[in-house]
Amino acid sequence: MTNPRRRYPLIAVAVVALASVGAGARWAVAHKEPHTAEQLAAFQEVFMEQVRTGDALFHGDAETEKKLGVKLSATGMACAMCHPYTSDTHPHEFPKFQEQMNEFATLRDMINWCIEKPNEGEKIDPDGPAMKALEAYIYWSNRHSKLDPGRH
Amino acid sequence: MSEQQGRWRKPASLPLVAEGRPDAGTCITRRTFLHKSLLYGAAGAASYGLFPLLNTIDLAFAQTGQAFRFAWVSDTHLYPRDVNTRFVEKAVRAFQEVQAMDPPADFLIFGGDLAQLGDPVELQLGAELLKEVKIRKVFIPGEHDWYLDMGATWNKMFGASPWTFDHKGVRFIGLDTISRAPDFWTPRKMSAKERMGHMATLDGTLGGAWAAVGEEQLRWLDGTLARWPKDRPVVVFTHNPLYEYYPPWNFWVRDWLPVQEILKPFANVTNIHGHTHQVLYNEIGSMRSIGMLATSWPWPYGPEGVPALTRPMVRADPGDHFDGVGWGELSVSAAARVDNEYRMWRKTVYAAAPEDSGTDDNRNQVLSPRIADRI
Ligand code: HEC
Ligand SMILES: [Fe+2]
Ligand SMILES: [Fe+2]
Repeated sequence: MTNPRRRYPLIAVAVVALASVGAGARWAVAHKEPHTAEQLAAFQEVFMEQVRTGDALFHGDAETEKKLGVKLSATGMACAMCHPYTSDTHPHEFPKFQEQMNEFATLRDMINWCIEKPNEGEKIDPDGPAMKALEAYIYWSNRHSKLDPGRH
Repeated sequence: MSEQQGRWRKPASLPLVAEGRPDAGTCITRRTFLHKSLLYGAAGAASYGLFPLLNTIDLAFAQTGQAFRFAWVSDTHLYPRDVNTRFVEKAVRAFQEVQAMDPPADFLIFGGDLAQLGDPVELQLGAELLKEVKIRKVFIPGEHDWYLDMGATWNKMFGASPWTFDHKGVRFIGLDTISRAPDFWTPRKMSAKERMGHMATLDGTLGGAWAAVGEEQLRWLDGTLARWPKDRPVVVFTHNPLYEYYPPWNFWVRDWLPVQEILKPFANVTNIHGHTHQVLYNEIGSMRSIGMLATSWPWPYGPEGVPALTRPMVRADPGDHFDGVGWGELSVSAAARVDNEYRMWRKTVYAAAPEDSGTDDNRNQVLSPRIADRI
């Protein structure tokens, strides 16, 4: 498994650049100004960085886990071993009644369930960076799936 | 689809099944009957348009044939015991059940992916667990057994492939479909462990279209079958399926067309494969192909290319690691009919409703290939 390329410095630069664009603008609300290509590229880069981090976590990259302070599995198995290309994670079906939990559940609930049950790992902060990255990767991989909330 | 994956797809990429076949879902229970004319009866088969498919060979063979059984176990994916023991438990269970078959199986074919990361400790563990099985054992490798030391330990412990033997009138052939990955590691100066890691990632991209029979083995196969009567049964064991199902996960061999060319003149060919960890059935020309369960964990069906003749297995329960997995009990009848019974440990094998089916529940799922490990 490979390490995602380290792009944090690049992003930091992009974000600083964005901030200075914002500060110099006449309007405090960014959306009143048309976006520049650079801005859009920077937004996209922020997103794709999360996707790459999520991909690394999903594929069991130990270094990324360590950096984010999570332990997603105690069996040696990574999410991707049962969900290649995030197959069968069904982000487009949430929220829904989740049989396994006997509860109305969100994607994040189910990510944590799979960490806890098949993976025997440690549940992660539902609003923390590891969860956001996993969510980014799962949604990105399913970006052409059709919304179908509630489907079993 | 990436450009490379796009290139893998050939015009003939769809499963080669005749139009107007019945829904594969009309099969019964856990059995994959490989001889459809018998399953549906001649009238049924005719009305479903099943002819002509292997309907004349039985008689010719029946004069010499003897019924017998054999067992398939594959994809145990053993880790060292200190990493996890759940795969050990399931391998042990499969081996005990094979040994307990009554009447006994004539032999066990182990279909590859004994180890998870090709570690000699894992392969050694596998050899130890296999001692449970006292009948004859034959082996073909999986990619997980190979890419740490390029098959050195595997070949030493389990013997090299390809091989062939004749048993009660059937020619059995074991191929190596896993050792021909394009060299992505040397230019990247990868360690053996890194190479193995990439090859062990089903949706990894560096390994590319690694599954292949290869020129040399094609010649060997051709030679091996040269003097075998065209009407006598042939069973080919491979780790990967001998047709194109889903190349990005190597659910195929990249040279399946030349393989089919060699097998085409033979009227009764059965391919039995692992790697896909799921219930699969296909027919191409006179070859029938059966995908076997893993003992370790089930893979979801590929996003496309599932053969129309496959009756999909049931969705697995992620809370129960004995669900969706098992092994296979095969029999060859006196009429040279190969029949498989999935020995799945939980639930019934096939889904009764679309909501429970491994393919039909994914109607609105559209997946995209990864980008993160394209370096
Ligand atoms: C041992 C195999 C296995 C592993 C490892 C695994 N899962 Fe799952 N997971 C499953 C199965 C099987 C399902 C049920 C799929 C279905 O219902 O079709 C599932 C369901 C899910 C679902 C809910 C899908 C739905 O529609 O209900 C999500 C989300 C999910 N897994 C995320 C993850 C994540 C994230 C990881 C890694 C932390 C992970 N899984 C690890 C087997 C696994
Ligand atoms: Fe496997
Ligand atoms: Fe495999």
